[in-house]
Parts: sequence; structure tokens; C-alpha cells
Amino acid sequence: MLSSMAAAGSVKAALQVAEVLEAIVSCCVGPEGRQVLCTKPTGEVLLSRNGGRLLEALHLEHPIARMIVDCVSSHLKKTGDGAKTFIIFLCHLLRGLHAITDSEKDPLMCENIQTHGRHWKNCSQWKCISQALLTFQTQILDGIMDQYLSRHFLSIFSSAKEKTLCRSSLELLLEAYFCGRVGRNNHKFISQLMCDYFFKCMTCESGIGVFELVDDYFVELNVGVTGLPVSDSRIIAGLVLQKDFSVYCPADGDIRMVIVTETVQPLFSTSGSEFILNSEAQFQTSQFWIMEKTQAIMKHLHSQNVKLLISSVKQPDLVIYYAGVNGISVVECLSSEEVSLIRRIIGLSPFVPPQAFSQCEIPNTALVKFCKPLILRSKRYVHLGLISTCAFIPHSIVLCGPLQGLIEQHEDALHGAFKMLRQLFKDLDLSYITQTNDQNGTSSLFIYKNSGESYQAPDTGNGSIQRPYQDTVVENKDELEKTQTYLKVHSNLVISDVELETYIPYSTPTLTPTDTFQTVETLTCLSLERNRLTDYYEPLLKNNSTAYSTRGNRIEISYENLQVTNITGKGSMLPVSCKLQNMGTSQSYLSSSMPAGCVLPVGGNFEILLHYYLLNYAKKCHQSEETMVSMIIANALLGIPKVLYKSKTGKYSFPHTYIRAVHALQTNQPLVSSQTGLESVTGKYQLLTSVLQCLTKILTIDVVITVKRDPQKVHNQDSEDEL
Amino acid sequence: MSRLEAKKPSLCKSEPLTTERVRTTLSVFKRIVTSCYGPSGRLKQLHNGFGGYVCTTSQSSALLSHLLVTHPILKILTTSIQNHVSSFSDCGLFTAILCCNLIENVQRLDLTPTTVIRLNKHLLSLCISYLKSETCGCRIPVDFGSTQILLCFVRSVLTSKPACMLTRKETEHVSALILRAFLLTIPENAEGHIVLGKSLIVPLKGQRVIDSTVLPGILIEMSEVQLMRLLPIKKSTALKVALFCTTLSGDISDTGEGTVVVSYGVSLENAALDQLLNLGRQLISDHVDLVLCQKVIHPSLKQFLNMHRIIAIDRIGVTLMEPLTKMTGTQPIGSLGSISPNSYGSVKDVCTAKFGSKHFFHLIPNEATICSLLLCNRNDTAWDELKLTCQTALHVLQLTLKEPWALLGGGCTETHLAAYIRHKTHNDPESILKDDECTQTELQLIAEAFCSALESVVGSLEHDGGEILTDMKYGHLWSVQADSPCVANWPDLLSQCGCGLYNSQEELNWSFLRSTRRPFVPQTCLPHEAVGSASNLTLDCLTAKLSGLQVAVETANLILDLSYVIEDKN
Repeated sequence: MLSSMAAAGSVKAALQVAEVLEAIVSCCVGPEGRQVLCTKPTGEVLLSRNGGRLLEALHLEHPIARMIVDCVSSHLKKTGDGAKTFIIFLCHLLRGLHAITDSEKDPLMCENIQTHGRHWKNCSQWKCISQALLTFQTQILDGIMDQYLSRHFLSIFSSAKEKTLCRSSLELLLEAYFCGRVGRNNHKFISQLMCDYFFKCMTCESGIGVFELVDDYFVELNVGVTGLPVSDSRIIAGLVLQKDFSVYCPADGDIRMVIVTETVQPLFSTSGSEFILNSEAQFQTSQFWIMEKTQAIMKHLHSQNVKLLISSVKQPDLVIYYAGVNGISVVECLSSEEVSLIRRIIGLSPFVPPQAFSQCEIPNTALVKFCKPLILRSKRYVHLGLISTCAFIPHSIVLCGPLQGLIEQHEDALHGAFKMLRQLFKDLDLSYITQTNDQNGTSSLFIYKNSGESYQAPDTGNGSIQRPYQDTVVENKDELEKTQTYLKVHSNLVISDVELETYIPYSTPTLTPTDTFQTVETLTCLSLERNRLTDYYEPLLKNNSTAYSTRGNRIEISYENLQVTNITGKGSMLPVSCKLQNMGTSQSYLSSSMPAGCVLPVGGNFEILLHYYLLNYAKKCHQSEETMVSMIIANALLGIPKVLYKSKTGKYSFPHTYIRAVHALQTNQPLVSSQTGLESVTGKYQLLTSVLQCLTKILTIDVVITVKRDPQKVHNQDSEDEL
Repeated sequence: MSRLEAKKPSLCKSEPLTTERVRTTLSVFKRIVTSCYGPSGRLKQLHNGFGGYVCTTSQSSALLSHLLVTHPILKILTTSIQNHVSSFSDCGLFTAILCCNLIENVQRLDLTPTTVIRLNKHLLSLCISYLKSETCGCRIPVDFGSTQILLCFVRSVLTSKPACMLTRKETEHVSALILRAFLLTIPENAEGHIVLGKSLIVPLKGQRVIDSTVLPGILIEMSEVQLMRLLPIKKSTALKVALFCTTLSGDISDTGEGTVVVSYGVSLENAALDQLLNLGRQLISDHVDLVLCQKVIHPSLKQFLNMHRIIAIDRIGVTLMEPLTKMTGTQPIGSLGSISPNSYGSVKDVCTAKFGSKHFFHLIPNEATICSLLLCNRNDTAWDELKLTCQTALHVLQLTLKEPWALLGGGCTETHLAAYIRHKTHNDPESILKDDECTQTELQLIAEAFCSALESVVGSLEHDGGEILTDMKYGHLWSVQADSPCVANWPDLLSQCGCGLYNSQEELNWSFLRSTRRPFVPQTCLPHEAVGSASNLTLDCLTAKLSGLQVAVETANLILDLSYVIEDKN
């Protein structure tokens, strides 16, 4: 009794939390979104339209809210985009689930949902829904993406094989991205800036490595300057370090640099050793020796044409002086990130002062094009023209703005854009099982993923649930165990698949070949055709029974029945897998991938497409769980375009756009978008999976127990808080 | 039981601009800044309730740095103004008033923030491109060959800061000093890349302003006793200077991370002193005349040097190190032994000087790009204000050197610009709107809000109940004193426009700034002879004003775009 009440309550509570968050984020979503002002505890102000930042700034205390925020931030860490959409989508999903439980009170509910609702109510186990959601996410979603949605995808690359990018399509992508991230005054300018930066930093052969480098060292690659208008922001060739020269000697021609990580000057004693001074003369000689030695090192560097010394530590006056005498510029106290960035760009290891001098060359020097001070708004910086040994051509972004909070927003948005591009340039593996059963005329998809990514989240989720201080969330032990078993089963599956895959030559499918799509669709719906001709999109399908193997871009492996039972036997916890065993049908494992650079036009196209195909899928499903989950997800998806089109009226309002899109899909015409701009499919897909995982986590929570830990606040503790 | 309500330690408010509290806060702030604006602006006295420093000012930089702002929206406003002022020194109040006016005017209109922001941006770029164009009727070229226009510049800055408490004569004197100080920082043989020198402001409080002066080189303050002890040097050639950045006190500095064990009876102090005296011997053999040290010189070494007729001055401090390095051409020495002969620099001469009650050691350079501006004023607060004003004036001159144009001051640029925008939006709205989704009516509304915001900035130049008029030919500003007869003969009442370029003897039509006028084309393309003849113009810095305009509009746009305020209450 208690547990079921609490379980129902958890959806309701989560919905309440999510609705509050939705109200905040929906005001800054999309091109019409507005800014939010956050104040830091230090009194600084920060402007933001970044969902992740806003959620963190709220400092939520409610355990479910904190869990949601944790999910959002782990999603953001990976993709750099979609925090606001995350909340909106999650909220709509929760609303859908909540409606099911209330359906008995609501006579207007459609009959289909009502019966299911009663079923779920009877079960009174959100756990089942959560498992069904997980099943959907891990086994069905990929198939729908691959078999239905993929024909609508466009590629950002002008040539898919070489992954070359043309400026205009990158502009479309970035403009759409920045529309939702920076003030509407500046999004065009910032996206142009980013575009310039992108093309200036890239060599023709540089690939994803550059994104990784820029993403990792983004803080070091940009300089913020307050007090200037935003339009003064620019890109500077070379690396700008936020330090001034300790000593600067103008130099040109052949400039070499060295990096040091410790003081050049030898010291009396090193750590762990002892230096015994027996006489005054000894002291004087040692000091003299130190001086001579330092001078000799600097002279040696000078003789090797070294004109720049970069140090991660503070160098003594003596070193600075002799550097100046020998015409060597010195930059001190660099952060370890700055040093490692420089080392990565030029591939240079630190210089260690040699014990004995010879005339031989110092191995660890690098050539520098120039090194000079750069003055930005009366503050001095070090400007280095590094000669890159990797695919990244060093450039720095100078971000100007009237106040620091705005610069931070732009910095944040640019960083996020690089994260987004990093994801976009990766292939996304999709693999799933198709299973045909002619006996009862159903066909269902079982998809698992071999990337392993999707399994990380539940693990970290357990950690995050227990994290909130003062409030402890206790989960039902049983459920936890089941989830773990479930996970184990899936990891088995993953391994077996990976092993298998290595033996098979693998090719990336090209984009949207319509013929292939039709074959695929025919394949999956082969048996359906005869039984359910009433389906309105059925006429599209041709009675084409091509064998699987004819498609070059997909790989299929037929498993022996024995193997199937072997795997599914372990997974007896899964209701779906159990059925598999009973039916004893033949399975084929499909493994495909979404090539890098898949995009769709903005304005809710992805959501409407997925909504459409999910509804179709749901109609064909005979399993109530699947139908239910698909329906809920499909309906929740529409919440996002609804928010986006909120301010639009007439022809461009949401209902019109939706009807147009559905009509176009039914008549097999291309979709026309009213907005220009592109968005990454990978990002959307990852968002969807992250939200589903988050929802799964929310649903598995049975009871939330609040424990007041702080002993100093005993007098505040109410008796009802102790459960 | 699970808790059903979300608890938020951060305070989250929606639509912050609509609340009464914000409106009041903004209007209070606006009242403060408008009352400070211009030559007749009212002064503000700032002090905290616990006593201590009192600041009397009408400058934005001093005002804002002393005001404690807690409201987040006001904080945006003050921070962006402070950032603007720290980069351009000038036009802080202009920016603040314009920004407040824009927010206030727009709030009265019932338009969506998107439209407002988009149109504000269009109008801003219209202003900027006009002010930068050749046809602009409110900017004049600055000729660095003649001091006339440069003096006008400095004088405009000085007169707009009434808290300096200067008389007319004093203003003239200080203007001339500032200009001289600026000209001294320009290197004589400048080729290609010019590196400006530095004017150091030396405080001399309690003296008459008229005693202020400019000297080439650096003044080091010293007590009279110290100064008497220094022996006069008689030398016809330049003096050799050694500048130390390391300590000469005989400390044993960094010995490493391990331990140093000193045996009984070993005196490191003696050893260190020996080393210092060796250094002294080297300096003597190198014929050094003057030893300067950033930190402390050991008394024994000092005496040793003095015995050998070397002047030793220590505790220079880090601020003087850079100008000293630049002026003497030395390399700051960080070593106690083996000094490279290239590290020494030189000065032309040294002397002692006494100004007021203070004694100085004066280093006279060979080539002067470093100068000292001895600034006097009667009391502390007035001195502080004067110092800030001098820095502003010097900065304005530097900015003008980079971009040799000046805007007409005294409010004429603002009224002219407003007239230009009105005309442009009425006669050629299509070119502004282009492919935008906004309608012409929306443009008219926003343009009116924008222009009246500009005009009320100059409206706040008048604090004594006078009236402000504008002419219908040039679009300049004319002010008429309070309690003058109503509809009188305008040309007799008005003598000169705000900037001083035109006088009332021309055939002009005037109208009150507050009244509505039919849009007219203000005369563009300033004739050259008009500029040449005028001797006493009020001028504004183009760079600073342009940036102020941009910052004001950008900040107003930012504030108007806010939909939520999340206040971290930690």
C-alpha cells in the first residue's frame, strides 16, 4: 500500500518539479528565447540562455530535481547541447504517464489509452513502464531511426567520404545553434566568428582531433576583454597567453623557444637533501657557482638561437636578468593547461638544464614565427606564432563585450558548439535484431547497441541518487538487483556482438538512398502487408521480397537458434526476452550506422518525423507495453515543436506546420521547412536516449526518505520528517 | 513520504522589468546620473555611515566605484558603464543616461522585446555608420599641428567636471599643462610604430592649482634629510645609472626545497655583506654614478657607495620601475655579481627640487618621453577629482591620436543625430527595415523612443530651469536661461549653440526640444571654413562617444531581453 502510493507519487512529484523547470527554460528556448540573469554568490552577474547553467544556478534542493539536473549535466558534458529541450521533453513524457494513471477519472481519454491505463494501474508498477522504456530505448529506437528516419537525413558534408565541409552548410548549422544560445542581437555575429575560427584552424586533412583539442583547451584558446562592444570580437592568428612577458626582448628571424617546468637556476638543495655549510668561503663559492652556472645556461640557450623561454614556474630574478642580457624573452607562471596546450600544438617536451655543456644542440627547442606583446584594452598579453606540428593551426578568439557576464555566455556557447561539432563528426553505430515470425504475423525489432554508451548512465545514476546531502533516497533493493542483472545480460550481448563484428568487413552506408529504404521497410513489414492493408501508409510498400544480403551497406548475421536461447536464457528477468524463447523464431542481427554529419532542418522536423513513425510503429505493435510506450513518447515529442512555434501565428503556427508535415509524409513528398538552419541528428538522438534514461531512473524510485543529518539543526527537525 | 514541493534556495523572478521595485531603482539611478551631467551638473558627496573617506564628485567613474549596487539589473548597467569608462575614460554619464532613457522609453511602448531589440540594433548601426561617414555633419578633423583644437578638447573635459573646483584662469593653466604633458610623451623621431611614453602624476595637495607644473623626467620623493645627505655631482657628461630589481640588503633568498645546515661559527651575514661590497667595487670600477634599487640597499653598501661619490637611492617601488627602465634605457639587474656592461643606462642630469613642502630628487632624461605632472589642488577631494580629470583628458588625447576626429560637444551631436534619424526613418524606412519582419509603424515608434532618449540626454545638461531649443537647419542645441521673457526675439536671447560653432545671427528657425517637430534634414558635410574660424569649441572624443553609444544600446537591449532573474542567495 505504502509502496504503491509512493510510486505513484514519484511521477506526480517529478512532474511538478519538471513543470517548474519547464516554465523557466521554455522562456529561453529557440530563436525567440530570452535571456536569464543569474547572480553569483560573489555578486557578479551572468547572462545565460544555457539550460545547464540555469539549472545549476537554481541550486535545487528537491531530490528528484537534483537527479534531473544531474542527468542534464551528464548529457551536456557529452553533447554540449539540448538542456532546455531535455527538460521540456521530460516534462511532456511525465505528463503523458501521469495522464494514464488519471485516465479513469477522465472520460474524454481515448479508449485505447484507457484500457492500457487500467492495466498499468492494476499492475501498479512503474517499474514495468521503466523497463519498457528502457527496452524501447535500447531495442526499438535505433531501428526506427535507421529504417524510417534515415531517408530524411541530409549530410552536412559536401562530400561524405572525405568529410569536407562547405561554409554555407556550416553557417546554417551554427546559426541555428547560436540562435538558442546567445542573445538575438549577437547570434549572427557569433556564428560568423565561430565559422571563421573553424576554417582558420583547420587544415585540409584535420579531422575530429581538432575538435577534441579545441574542446579540451577552449579556456586557453580565448581571451575575454570587457568594456568593448561585442562587434569588436575577432580572431587572432597564433596563440594569445593571458600573461605578460617578465622580460621582453624584441627579436625577429629565426626564433626558437624552450619550455621549462622548474627553475633554471640551480638551488642550494633539492627536496629531500641536505646542504651543509661549513665556512663562509664555501657559501660564497656556492653562490658564485650558481651565478656562473645560470649565466652559462642562458648563454648556451642564446648560442642555440633560443629567444623565448616559457616557464610553468616563477623564475628567480637572476634567471630573468641573464635572460634579458642574452636577449631571451621570458614568460613565467603558465598554468599546466597552457603548457600542455603549447606542447600539444608544437610537440615539444620540456627542456632540462644539462649538467655539462657541450656545443651540441639542445634537442627540445621549437621554431616560432613570432613572439610579441599584444595590447588589448591597455592590458598586455603574450602573442605567440607557434608553428603547429599537428592538424590544428593555432588561432585565438578575442571575445569582447560590455560586461564579463556576456562574454562568459558567448564563451560558453562557442565551447558548446565545438562539443556539438565533435559529436556530429562521429559515426553513430546502430545495431538491432529483426525477428520475423510468420506464425502469428507479428514482427518486432530487438535492438541493442554496441557502443556501450547507453549503459553508463544507469551506473552513474545510482551514484547521483545517493549524493544529495541531507536527503537520502532509498531505492527498492529488489529493483536495483533486477536492473543490475538486466544490465549484465545486456553487456553479455554487447560483447558477443562486438566479437562477431570484428570478422565482418564493414562499410558505412551512404545517405538516404530511397531504394534501400524501401527494401528495409518491406523487410520488416513483410508479413504485415497482407494482414493490415488498411494502414494508410501501406500503399507505399512494394511487395518486394529481396533477400537481406543484397544490400551492401548493411551487415546481417543469422544466428543459430541455440545461440539465441543461450543469450536470452540469462535474461529471463526481461519479459520481452522470455517471449522470444517461446516463439522460437529466426533472428537476424542488423548492424548499421548513422554516418557522421547527419543533419535535419530546424524547427521540430526531427520530432515530427519521429512522432509520425512512432505512431505508425505503435499501430503495428501487438504488445501493449510497446504500444503504450511508443504512444507516450510520440506524443511527448510534439511538445518541443509546440514551444518553438508558440509565437508564430496563422500559416506558420504549430497545427498548420504539423498537418503539412504529416500530409507530406503520407503522400511521400519532401518535407518543406519554414525556417532555414540545420541541426545535428546525433545530438537529437543522444538527447532522446538521455531523457529516456533519466525517466527510467525517476520511475524506478519507490520511496524518497528525507534524512536530516546536520546535528546542529536538531531543534528544527519536525516529527513528520522522520517518516 | 516524498516531498511534493520544489524548494529553491536561489530566488527566481520572472519578467523582472515589470516589477515596481525595478522601476523605482532604475529611476533613482537615473536621477543620480542625470543630475551630475554637464558643466553645471550637481555634485554628489559619497561617504559611508561609519565615517572615513568622503568623496565629492560628479564623474561616473568615481560615482560608480563608490556606489554599492545590489540589484542585479542595476548591476548589469553599472558594470557595463564601469567597463566602458575603464577602457575609454570619457562619456560614462552619457552612456548611463542614454541607457536608462532607452529602457524607460521602450517600456512605455507595447512591443515585444524581439522587435524592440532588432530595431534598436538597426538604429544603432545607422548612427554608427553616419558618425563614421564622410558626410557626417557633427564631426571635425583634428589637426595635431595646431594646439588650438587640442586645447579645446582638454578644456571641454575640464569644464565638464565641476567638482575640480577650478576658476576660469586655473582651467586655462591646467589645460595647457595637460597638453604639454601629453606632447612630451610623444617620441620625437617617430617612425612606423609609435610607442607613447608616460605622464606620471605627482600629488601635491594643499597648494594653489596655479602652482601645478610639468617637468620632463621622473621625480622621486625624498625626505629633506635624505636629500641633504646626497652629494652633488658635478659632471659634464651624462650620468651612468644602474637599476636593481633584486634586493641589495644581503638576504639569503631561495635556497631550494631541501634543508641548509649552517655550521656553528659561520656567519652568513658577513658572507653576504662581503658579496655586496664586491658588487659595490664592481660598480665603482664600472664608473657608475647613480645606483637605484627597487627594494632595500644594505646601509653598509649605501655608505660604501656614498664614500665613492655614487648616489644610492633605494625603495623605489615597483610602480616607478617601468618608467625608470624606459627613461634610462637600463636593464633591471637581478644579479649580485658579474653585471653585463649593457645593463647600465644613463640620465642627462640629476638635481634636487622643492615643491611646496615636498622634496624631490629629479632625474632629467636625455630624450624625454617620460614626464611628471605635478598636480596641485586645495584639498584632498578636489585633488582626487582633478587627478581623475587629468587622466581622462590625457586618455582622450591618446584616443584622438589614434583616430584624429572630434565630435561637436555641448549636446549638439546628440540633437543633430536625433534629427538625422527622424529624417531617415520617415523618408527612407525601407532601407532600414530591409528584409526584416518588423513593420514601418513599429520602426516609427522605436525611432521616436530612440531619438527622444538621445534628446533627453542633452536635456539633462540644463539644471537651472532653463529651456533647450534646437534649430531647424543644423539640428544643433541652443540653451536659453531661465526666467527669460517667453516669446521673445530668439536671436537676441541665444548667443551661441552648445558646441560654439554657430551663432544666432544667422537666419535660423528654433523650436523647443520637447515639442514635436516635423522631420527635417540636418545639414550634413561640415564646411571647412566654419571649423577654422571658431576658436572656442566644445568637443567630444569620437572613439569614446561611439563606444558609449554602442554600450548604452547593447546594455539596454540586454536588460530588455531579460525574462528571469535567478539570484543566488548563498
